[in-house]
Amino acid sequence: GSCRVSMSITEIRSGFNTIKANIQARDPIRTLSILSYPHSLHKVKSSDRCCVSHQLFTFYMDKVFRHCRTEDSYINRKISSIANSFLSVRRSLQQCQEQNKCVCGQESTEKLKQVLVNYEELNVTAAAMKSLGELDILLDWMEKES
Amino acid sequence: GELYCSLPNPRNVHFESVNMKNVLHWSAPEGTGDGVLYKVKYSVYGVGKWIRKPECRNINRTWCDLSSETSDYEEQYYASVKAFLNGRCSDWVETARFNPLTDTKIDPPVVSVSSTEKSIAIILTAPEKWKRSPAGESVSLLQVYPGLQYNVSVLNKKTKKRWFFSISNNTLLVPWLEPGTAYCVSAQIRVPTPLLHSGFSKEHCISTLKDKTSGETA
Repeated sequence: GSCRVSMSITEIRSGFNTIKANIQARDPIRTLSILSYPHSLHKVKSSDRCCVSHQLFTFYMDKVFRHCRTEDSYINRKISSIANSFLSVRRSLQQCQEQNKCVCGQESTEKLKQVLVNYEELNVTAAAMKSLGELDILLDWMEKES
Repeated sequence: GELYCSLPNPRNVHFESVNMKNVLHWSAPEGTGDGVLYKVKYSVYGVGKWIRKPECRNINRTWCDLSSETSDYEEQYYASVKAFLNGRCSDWVETARFNPLTDTKIDPPVVSVSSTEKSIAIILTAPEKWKRSPAGESVSLLQVYPGLQYNVSVLNKKTKKRWFFSISNNTLLVPWLEPGTAYCVSAQIRVPTPLLHSGFSKEHCISTLKDKTSGETA
Protein backbone atom coordinates (compact mmCIF):
# COMPACT_ATOMS: atom_id res chain seq x y z
CA GLY A 1 0.00 0.00 0.00
CA SER A 2 1.07 3.61 -0.15
CA CYS A 3 3.63 4.48 2.47
CA ARG A 4 4.21 8.12 3.22
CA VAL A 5 7.86 8.42 4.24
CA SER A 6 9.39 11.77 4.88
CA MET A 7 12.29 11.75 2.56
CA SER A 8 15.10 14.25 2.40
CA ILE A 9 15.03 13.88 -1.37
CA THR A 10 15.70 17.53 -1.81
CA GLU A 11 18.88 17.17 0.25
CA ILE A 12 20.00 14.16 -1.80
CA ARG A 13 19.07 15.93 -5.02
CA SER A 14 21.04 19.07 -4.27
CA GLY A 15 24.07 17.02 -3.25
CA PHE A 16 23.83 14.98 -6.42
CA ASN A 17 23.40 18.06 -8.63
CA THR A 18 26.81 19.32 -7.58
CA ILE A 19 28.56 16.16 -8.80
CA LYS A 20 26.19 14.93 -11.51
CA ALA A 21 28.18 16.18 -14.53
CA ASN A 22 31.43 14.82 -13.08
CA ILE A 23 30.01 11.40 -12.23
CA GLN A 24 28.07 10.96 -15.49
CA ALA A 25 31.17 11.94 -17.47
CA ARG A 26 32.94 8.97 -15.91
CA ASP A 27 30.35 6.63 -17.45
CA PRO A 28 31.11 6.16 -21.16
CA ILE A 29 28.45 3.48 -21.73
CA ARG A 30 25.37 4.95 -23.40
CA THR A 31 23.77 1.68 -24.34
CA LEU A 32 22.93 0.32 -20.90
CA SER A 33 20.99 1.74 -18.00
CA ILE A 34 21.04 0.03 -14.63
CA LEU A 35 17.68 1.40 -13.49
CA SER A 36 15.85 1.93 -16.80
CA TYR A 37 16.62 -1.19 -18.82
CA PRO A 38 14.52 -2.70 -20.30
CA HIS A 39 11.68 -0.77 -18.68
CA SER A 40 11.59 2.65 -17.09
CA LEU A 41 11.06 2.87 -13.35
CA HIS A 42 7.97 4.87 -14.23
CA LYS A 43 6.32 1.63 -15.33
CA VAL A 44 6.37 0.29 -11.75
CA LYS A 45 2.86 0.00 -10.32
CA SER A 46 1.98 2.34 -7.44
CA SER A 47 1.34 -0.61 -5.18
CA ASP A 48 4.92 -1.77 -5.68
CA ARG A 49 6.47 1.65 -5.11
CA CYS A 50 7.23 1.33 -1.45
CA CYS A 51 8.96 -2.02 -1.84
CA VAL A 52 10.92 -0.99 -4.94
CA SER A 53 12.03 2.23 -3.22
CA HIS A 54 13.23 0.33 -0.19
CA GLN A 55 15.01 -2.31 -2.23
CA LEU A 56 16.68 0.28 -4.47
CA PHE A 57 17.90 2.22 -1.46
CA THR A 58 19.35 -1.01 -0.12
CA PHE A 59 20.96 -1.64 -3.54
CA TYR A 60 22.61 1.78 -3.45
CA MET A 61 23.82 1.29 0.12
CA ASP A 62 25.17 -2.22 -0.44
CA LYS A 63 26.43 -2.10 -4.04
CA VAL A 64 26.96 1.47 -5.14
CA PHE A 65 28.32 4.02 -2.68
CA ARG A 66 31.07 1.79 -1.30
CA HIS A 67 32.48 1.25 -4.82
CA CYS A 68 32.45 4.89 -5.86
CA ARG A 69 35.75 6.26 -4.68
CA THR A 70 37.36 8.83 -6.95
CA GLU A 71 40.66 10.70 -7.03
CA ASP A 72 38.79 13.88 -6.12
CA SER A 73 38.29 14.44 -2.39
CA TYR A 74 35.47 16.94 -2.97
CA ILE A 75 33.55 14.38 -5.03
CA ASN A 76 34.22 11.70 -2.41
CA ARG A 77 32.88 13.95 0.36
CA LYS A 78 29.73 14.65 -1.63
CA ILE A 79 29.23 10.94 -2.30
CA SER A 80 29.53 10.08 1.37
CA SER A 81 27.09 12.83 2.37
CA ILE A 82 24.59 11.47 -0.18
CA ALA A 83 25.18 8.00 1.26
CA ASN A 84 24.42 9.31 4.76
CA SER A 85 21.18 10.85 3.55
CA PHE A 86 20.33 7.52 1.93
CA LEU A 87 20.96 5.78 5.24
CA SER A 88 18.38 7.87 7.05
CA VAL A 89 15.85 7.52 4.26
CA ARG A 90 16.34 3.77 4.14
CA ARG A 91 15.80 3.59 7.89
CA SER A 92 12.43 5.27 7.40
CA LEU A 93 11.57 2.89 4.59
CA GLN A 94 12.66 0.00 6.79
CA GLN A 95 10.13 1.02 9.45
CA CYS A 96 7.50 1.22 6.73
CA GLN A 97 8.40 -2.27 5.49
CA GLU A 98 8.33 -3.72 8.98
CA GLN A 99 4.89 -2.27 9.61
CA ASN A 100 3.96 -4.37 6.62
CA LYS A 101 2.69 -1.51 4.54
CA CYS A 102 5.33 -2.26 1.98
CA VAL A 103 4.01 -5.00 -0.28
CA CYS A 104 6.65 -6.67 -2.45
CA GLY A 105 4.65 -7.81 -5.49
CA GLN A 106 5.90 -10.01 -8.27
CA GLU A 107 6.53 -7.02 -10.54
CA SER A 108 8.83 -5.32 -8.03
CA THR A 109 10.75 -8.53 -7.53
CA GLU A 110 11.22 -8.79 -11.31
CA LYS A 111 12.32 -5.17 -11.53
CA LEU A 112 14.92 -5.59 -8.81
CA LYS A 113 16.22 -8.77 -10.35
CA GLN A 114 16.72 -6.88 -13.62
CA VAL A 115 18.57 -4.08 -11.85
CA LEU A 116 21.03 -6.61 -10.45
CA VAL A 117 21.39 -8.32 -13.85
CA ASN A 118 22.17 -4.94 -15.43
CA TYR A 119 24.62 -4.19 -12.61
CA GLU A 120 26.46 -7.48 -13.08
CA GLU A 121 26.89 -6.81 -16.81
CA LEU A 122 29.75 -4.45 -15.90
CA ASN A 123 32.74 -4.62 -13.62
CA VAL A 124 31.94 -3.43 -10.10
CA THR A 125 33.48 0.03 -10.37
CA ALA A 126 31.88 0.82 -13.71
CA ALA A 127 28.52 -0.54 -12.54
CA ALA A 128 28.67 1.44 -9.30
CA MET A 129 29.65 4.68 -11.05
CA LYS A 130 26.90 4.21 -13.65
CA SER A 131 24.36 3.56 -10.88
CA LEU A 132 25.46 6.68 -9.03
CA GLY A 133 25.13 8.68 -12.26
CA GLU A 134 21.55 7.44 -12.54
CA LEU A 135 20.55 8.79 -9.13
CA ASP A 136 18.43 11.47 -10.79
CA ILE A 137 16.44 8.74 -12.54
CA LEU A 138 15.61 7.30 -9.10
CA LEU A 139 14.87 10.71 -7.59
CA ASP A 140 12.71 11.82 -10.55
CA TRP A 141 10.63 8.66 -10.12
CA MET A 142 10.31 9.02 -6.37
CA GLU A 143 9.41 12.71 -6.57
CA LYS A 144 6.90 12.18 -9.31
CA GLU A 145 4.61 10.12 -7.14
CA SER A 146 5.41 11.54 -3.68
CA GLY B 1 32.99 5.20 -45.35
CA GLU B 2 34.08 7.84 -42.89
CA LEU B 3 36.41 10.51 -44.22
CA TYR B 4 39.72 11.12 -42.50
CA CYS B 5 38.63 13.28 -39.60
CA SER B 6 41.24 15.99 -39.16
CA LEU B 7 38.90 18.96 -38.89
CA PRO B 8 38.81 20.54 -35.41
CA ASN B 9 35.75 19.58 -33.41
CA PRO B 10 32.59 21.62 -32.88
CA ARG B 11 32.78 23.24 -29.46
CA ASN B 12 30.48 23.71 -26.50
CA VAL B 13 27.88 21.17 -27.69
CA HIS B 14 25.00 21.48 -25.26
CA PHE B 15 21.23 21.56 -24.87
CA GLU B 16 19.41 24.81 -24.23
CA SER B 17 15.95 24.10 -22.88
CA VAL B 18 13.07 26.38 -21.95
CA ASN B 19 9.71 24.90 -20.94
CA MET B 20 11.06 21.64 -22.41
CA LYS B 21 11.68 23.12 -25.84
CA ASN B 22 15.01 21.35 -26.15
CA VAL B 23 17.43 22.82 -28.71
CA LEU B 24 20.93 21.55 -29.32
CA HIS B 25 23.50 24.33 -29.70
CA TRP B 26 27.22 24.35 -30.52
CA SER B 27 29.99 26.64 -31.71
CA ALA B 28 31.88 26.24 -34.98
CA PRO B 29 35.24 24.47 -34.85
CA GLU B 30 38.11 26.80 -33.98
CA GLY B 31 39.69 28.59 -36.92
CA THR B 32 37.03 27.67 -39.45
CA GLY B 33 35.25 30.45 -41.30
CA ASP B 34 32.18 30.01 -43.44
CA GLY B 35 31.25 26.89 -45.28
CA VAL B 36 31.26 24.42 -42.39
CA LEU B 37 28.38 21.96 -42.54
CA TYR B 38 27.11 19.80 -39.70
CA LYS B 39 25.10 16.70 -39.03
CA VAL B 40 23.39 15.71 -35.81
CA LYS B 41 22.40 12.48 -34.10
CA TYR B 42 20.87 11.71 -30.76
CA SER B 43 20.28 8.72 -28.49
CA VAL B 44 18.09 7.78 -25.58
CA TYR B 45 20.26 6.94 -22.59
CA GLY B 46 20.30 3.17 -21.97
CA VAL B 47 19.11 2.37 -25.50
CA GLY B 48 21.66 1.06 -27.93
CA LYS B 49 21.35 3.12 -31.06
CA TRP B 50 22.15 6.59 -32.28
CA ILE B 51 19.44 8.13 -34.42
CA ARG B 52 20.20 10.65 -37.16
CA LYS B 53 18.15 13.84 -37.33
CA PRO B 54 17.42 14.29 -41.07
CA GLU B 55 16.33 17.92 -40.71
CA CYS B 56 19.76 18.71 -39.29
CA ARG B 57 21.85 16.99 -41.95
CA ASN B 58 24.34 19.14 -43.91
CA ILE B 59 23.16 22.30 -42.16
CA ASN B 60 25.33 25.39 -41.81
CA ARG B 61 23.54 26.77 -38.72
CA THR B 62 24.85 25.90 -35.27
CA TRP B 63 21.67 24.73 -33.62
CA CYS B 64 19.14 21.92 -34.07
CA ASP B 65 15.72 21.64 -32.46
CA LEU B 66 15.42 18.21 -30.85
CA SER B 67 12.29 19.00 -28.83
CA SER B 68 10.25 16.36 -30.60
CA GLU B 69 12.88 13.69 -30.14
CA THR B 70 13.38 14.49 -26.46
CA SER B 71 9.78 15.15 -25.45
CA ASP B 72 9.48 12.12 -23.13
CA TYR B 73 10.79 13.68 -19.95
CA GLU B 74 10.95 10.32 -18.20
CA GLU B 75 13.94 9.52 -20.40
CA GLN B 76 17.42 11.03 -20.62
CA TYR B 77 19.32 11.78 -23.79
CA TYR B 78 22.63 12.40 -25.49
CA ALA B 79 23.11 14.33 -28.72
CA SER B 80 26.16 14.57 -30.93
CA VAL B 81 27.43 16.83 -33.73
CA LYS B 82 29.99 16.30 -36.52
CA ALA B 83 31.44 19.02 -38.75
CA PHE B 84 32.45 18.88 -42.43
CA LEU B 85 34.52 21.31 -44.51
CA ASN B 86 36.20 20.83 -47.91
CA GLY B 87 36.17 17.05 -47.69
CA ARG B 88 37.48 16.97 -44.16
CA CYS B 89 35.44 16.12 -41.08
CA SER B 90 35.65 16.35 -37.32
CA ASP B 91 34.98 13.72 -34.68
CA TRP B 92 31.51 13.35 -33.25
CA VAL B 93 31.22 15.57 -30.19
CA GLU B 94 28.64 14.65 -27.57
CA THR B 95 26.61 16.58 -25.04
CA ALA B 96 26.57 15.72 -21.36
CA ARG B 97 23.62 13.52 -20.42
CA PHE B 98 20.47 15.64 -20.79
CA ASN B 99 17.54 15.22 -18.38
CA PRO B 100 14.61 17.33 -19.66
CA LEU B 101 12.90 17.25 -16.26
CA THR B 102 15.77 18.80 -14.34
CA ASP B 103 17.75 20.58 -17.06
CA THR B 104 15.01 22.80 -18.50
CA LYS B 105 14.52 26.45 -17.65
CA ILE B 106 11.02 27.67 -16.78
CA ASP B 107 9.46 30.91 -18.01
CA PRO B 108 7.76 33.21 -15.48
CA PRO B 109 4.01 32.74 -14.97
CA VAL B 110 1.45 34.87 -16.77
CA VAL B 111 -0.01 37.36 -14.28
CA SER B 112 -3.47 38.92 -14.50
CA VAL B 113 -4.80 41.33 -11.90
CA SER B 114 -8.08 43.04 -11.06
CA SER B 115 -8.95 45.38 -8.23
CA THR B 116 -11.71 46.63 -5.98
CA GLU B 117 -11.53 49.57 -3.58
CA LYS B 118 -9.44 47.76 -1.00
CA SER B 119 -8.16 44.57 -2.59
CA ILE B 120 -6.36 43.15 -5.56
CA ALA B 121 -7.14 39.73 -7.07
CA ILE B 122 -4.23 38.00 -8.81
CA ILE B 123 -4.53 35.02 -11.17
CA LEU B 124 -1.37 33.18 -12.18
CA THR B 125 -0.93 30.81 -15.11
CA ALA B 126 2.05 28.50 -15.41
CA PRO B 127 3.63 28.21 -18.86
CA GLU B 128 2.85 25.24 -21.07
CA LYS B 129 5.26 22.48 -21.89
CA TRP B 130 6.57 22.71 -25.44
CA LYS B 131 4.25 20.96 -27.91
CA ARG B 132 4.74 19.75 -31.45
CA SER B 133 2.11 21.99 -32.97
CA PRO B 134 -0.27 24.73 -31.83
CA ALA B 135 -3.08 22.21 -32.32
CA GLY B 136 -1.32 19.71 -30.11
CA GLU B 137 -2.55 18.89 -26.63
CA SER B 138 -1.58 21.54 -24.11
CA VAL B 139 0.26 20.29 -21.04
CA SER B 140 0.81 22.80 -18.27
CA LEU B 141 4.11 22.64 -16.42
CA LEU B 142 1.89 22.30 -13.36
CA GLN B 143 1.14 18.75 -14.55
CA VAL B 144 4.84 18.06 -15.06
CA TYR B 145 5.81 19.49 -11.65
CA PRO B 146 2.89 18.84 -9.28
CA GLY B 147 4.72 20.57 -6.41
CA LEU B 148 4.97 23.81 -8.40
CA GLN B 149 4.54 26.98 -6.30
CA TYR B 150 4.38 30.71 -6.98
CA ASN B 151 6.26 33.51 -5.26
CA VAL B 152 4.29 36.76 -5.63
CA SER B 153 5.56 40.28 -4.96
CA VAL B 154 3.12 43.18 -4.41
CA LEU B 155 4.51 46.74 -4.31
CA ASN B 156 2.65 49.82 -3.07
CA LYS B 157 3.94 52.41 -5.52
CA LYS B 158 3.18 55.28 -3.17
CA THR B 159 4.81 53.98 -0.01
CA LYS B 160 7.25 51.64 -1.80
CA LYS B 161 6.23 48.98 0.72
CA ARG B 162 6.51 45.44 -0.76
CA TRP B 163 4.90 42.18 0.32
CA PHE B 164 5.94 38.67 -0.68
CA PHE B 165 3.61 35.71 -0.77
CA SER B 166 4.38 32.04 -1.49
CA ILE B 167 1.33 30.14 -2.70
CA SER B 168 0.59 26.73 -4.15
CA ASN B 169 -2.69 27.43 -5.87
CA ASN B 170 -2.83 29.97 -8.69
CA THR B 171 -5.03 32.70 -7.20
CA LEU B 172 -4.27 35.27 -4.52
CA LEU B 173 -6.48 37.94 -3.00
CA VAL B 174 -4.58 40.77 -1.29
CA PRO B 175 -6.99 42.54 1.11
CA TRP B 176 -6.85 45.68 3.28
CA LEU B 177 -5.25 47.89 0.65
CA GLU B 178 -5.51 51.66 0.31
CA PRO B 179 -8.20 52.91 -2.07
CA GLY B 180 -7.10 54.91 -5.10
CA THR B 181 -3.52 53.63 -4.90
CA ALA B 182 -1.29 52.01 -7.54
CA TYR B 183 0.07 48.57 -6.81
CA CYS B 184 2.51 46.57 -8.94
CA VAL B 185 2.46 42.76 -9.00
CA SER B 186 5.18 40.39 -10.18
CA ALA B 187 5.42 36.62 -9.82
CA GLN B 188 7.91 33.78 -10.09
CA ILE B 189 7.55 30.00 -10.34
CA ARG B 190 9.38 27.79 -7.86
CA VAL B 191 9.58 23.99 -8.07
CA PRO B 192 10.83 22.65 -4.72
CA THR B 193 12.08 19.35 -6.14
CA PRO B 194 13.79 19.00 -8.51
CA LEU B 195 14.85 22.50 -7.48
CA LEU B 196 13.91 24.86 -10.34
CA HIS B 197 12.69 28.44 -10.46
CA SER B 198 11.79 30.95 -13.14
CA GLY B 199 12.70 34.59 -13.19
CA PHE B 200 10.12 37.10 -11.96
CA SER B 201 7.52 38.19 -14.48
CA LYS B 202 7.45 41.82 -15.55
CA GLU B 203 5.38 44.00 -13.22
CA HIS B 204 1.65 44.41 -13.71
CA CYS B 205 0.44 47.66 -12.14
CA ILE B 206 -3.15 48.44 -11.24
CA SER B 207 -4.87 51.01 -9.05
CA THR B 208 -7.44 50.21 -6.38
CA LEU B 209 -10.72 52.03 -6.94
CA LYS B 210 -11.24 55.40 -5.29
CA ASP B 211 -13.09 55.36 -1.97
CA LYS B 212 -16.65 56.33 -2.89
CA THR B 213 -17.50 57.60 0.61
CA SER B 214 -14.60 60.07 0.73
CA GLY B 215 -15.79 61.46 -2.60
CA GLU B 216 -19.33 62.18 -1.21
CA THR B 217 -18.40 63.85 2.10
CA ALA B 218 -15.90 66.24 0.56
